[in-house]
Amino acid sequence: MNILEVKELGKDFGGLTALQGVHLSIEAGRIFGLIGPNGAGKSTAFNCIAGVYAPTRGEIRFNGEVINGQKPWNLCKKGLARTFQIVKPFASKTVLYNVMVGSFLHTNSTREARRRALEVLEFLHFAGKAHMRAGDLTIADRKRLEIARALATRPKLLLLDEVMAGLRPAEVDQMVEIIRRLRDQGITIFVIEHIMRAIMALSDRVAVLHFGKKIAEGTPQEVASDERVIKAYLGEEYVVSGS
Amino acid sequence: MTRRHYNKMAAAIVLILAFGLPLVVRSATYLHILVLLYFYAYLTTSWNLVGGFAGVLPLGHAAFVGIGAYTSTILYLQYGISPWIGMLVGGVLASFVGVLIGLPTFKMRGAYFALATLAFAEGIRVMVENIDRLGPFVLNGPRGLQIPPLKLGLGNLVFASKEPYYYIILLMLLAVLALTWVIARSKLGYYLNAGGEEPDAAMALGVNVARSKLTAMAMSSFLTALAGAFYAQFTLYIHPKSVISLDLSFEIAFIALIGGRGSIAGPVLGALLLRPVSDFSRIYFGDTLPGLHLVIFGVVLILVMIFQPRGLQEPLTRAYNRLLDRLAPGQTKELGT
Repeated sequence: MNILEVKELGKDFGGLTALQGVHLSIEAGRIFGLIGPNGAGKSTAFNCIAGVYAPTRGEIRFNGEVINGQKPWNLCKKGLARTFQIVKPFASKTVLYNVMVGSFLHTNSTREARRRALEVLEFLHFAGKAHMRAGDLTIADRKRLEIARALATRPKLLLLDEVMAGLRPAEVDQMVEIIRRLRDQGITIFVIEHIMRAIMALSDRVAVLHFGKKIAEGTPQEVASDERVIKAYLGEEYVVSGS
Repeated sequence: MTRRHYNKMAAAIVLILAFGLPLVVRSATYLHILVLLYFYAYLTTSWNLVGGFAGVLPLGHAAFVGIGAYTSTILYLQYGISPWIGMLVGGVLASFVGVLIGLPTFKMRGAYFALATLAFAEGIRVMVENIDRLGPFVLNGPRGLQIPPLKLGLGNLVFASKEPYYYIILLMLLAVLALTWVIARSKLGYYLNAGGEEPDAAMALGVNVARSKLTAMAMSSFLTALAGAFYAQFTLYIHPKSVISLDLSFEIAFIALIGGRGSIAGPVLGALLLRPVSDFSRIYFGDTLPGLHLVIFGVVLILVMIFQPRGLQEPLTRAYNRLLDRLAPGQTKELGT
């Protein structure tokens, strides 16, 4: 079953067409990667799906329901959570407080919210920093906090926007490990990433955006050897002709 | 003794002091000053629900004081309805107006929200100043309304001495502080703080930021109006310039900013510091230099913003915690918010 179905998605900002005719379908329980050069429209696609922007054209179905233009908080209640490329922690509050904002989605009790938040932190090996101020965290921990908060809302589909950007190689490996464990929990993962090593290792399928259009989709191997993808990333002269 | 014991002890001392003060302070002038101090602490605590937790800066809360004062006074003068009931009616009316103001303005950020709320409050003041009769209700325009102190007693909320007023406003202040404490630890408190600090992130976590702000606004304006009704019964004379003035709105914001927005102790500390400054500068310089207290406020505000941008509650809380560390060493700190 496809948990997310995107058809003919298009988004214009004034005269600029950021996305055009994008089709995506993501099978439940899989990790789906979205790559593309800077400015390709990846984050715009995420923002349309997560309800930040209303798409100009096309249709987005989540769990079979059309969700075009629905508000982010309603989507979150339906089970669609996201992280931000530029992390947005509630900086003056503790890590636990941050995660509790997420876990309040399914409970009105502070005690219950705290218990669930601690569970999430435990799962992410993050509990040791529960009482640290979010503003004092390292960039790697802030990315982890983004995931922890989103996870606390108990999502079915999790959109991860460049959670590995700016991490050291060892931290990237940890993050790959975390994402795999989330998938093993039954959460479908839709990930935007620039770090090829990570996305190739993680993804079951990868789609490539270039100038707002999807130019390729397939298994990581298929995509990596696709001529159009190499052209988009490296330029014409790197394509070995006749191969 | 544990930290918890020391905390309880400190609270008990403060309460005993607060309740015992009228036994020592017999001067009506000083009691008057104290009543106003609590009145402002109460107003600022109510304001803090929106201005502190939700991270916006409303500058029109005088409108709600006015609505509370006028509603209870009109109901009392024209219909003989007890100010206690008038207080609640005024509160409901104020929260209705608060939501009406909040609906269009909560989409604005920063200074625009502040200016919009200020404009609403000024609009209400100008209207009240220019209306003598609103349907069956007599507003008396700029001349205001006077409550003749004929029937004394708790039911009419009119007393011959200051002490009963002192205890009523003290209880109101304690109640609103307790309410704030509960809200800060509830889902609403978490949602308000999250929406105030990073609205986009809060929305992505399922927080309907606008709705939680409106809820806070409704509560804040309701509570503010209760104090307005109390003020009318305390001074027995209200007019637009006294209860709906810009000065009042600004003073609430000043007290909050200096004491510390978003904290529970902040508004009380701010009022403790600023109210005496305001009253004594009015007493001593009122004839020669009117408005001096606002100048002093400004200077204090500038100094606090430069050296303690999160308000005076922060260094004081830290000092208190350090003292507790001394008294009860080696114990883990209670989780603050």
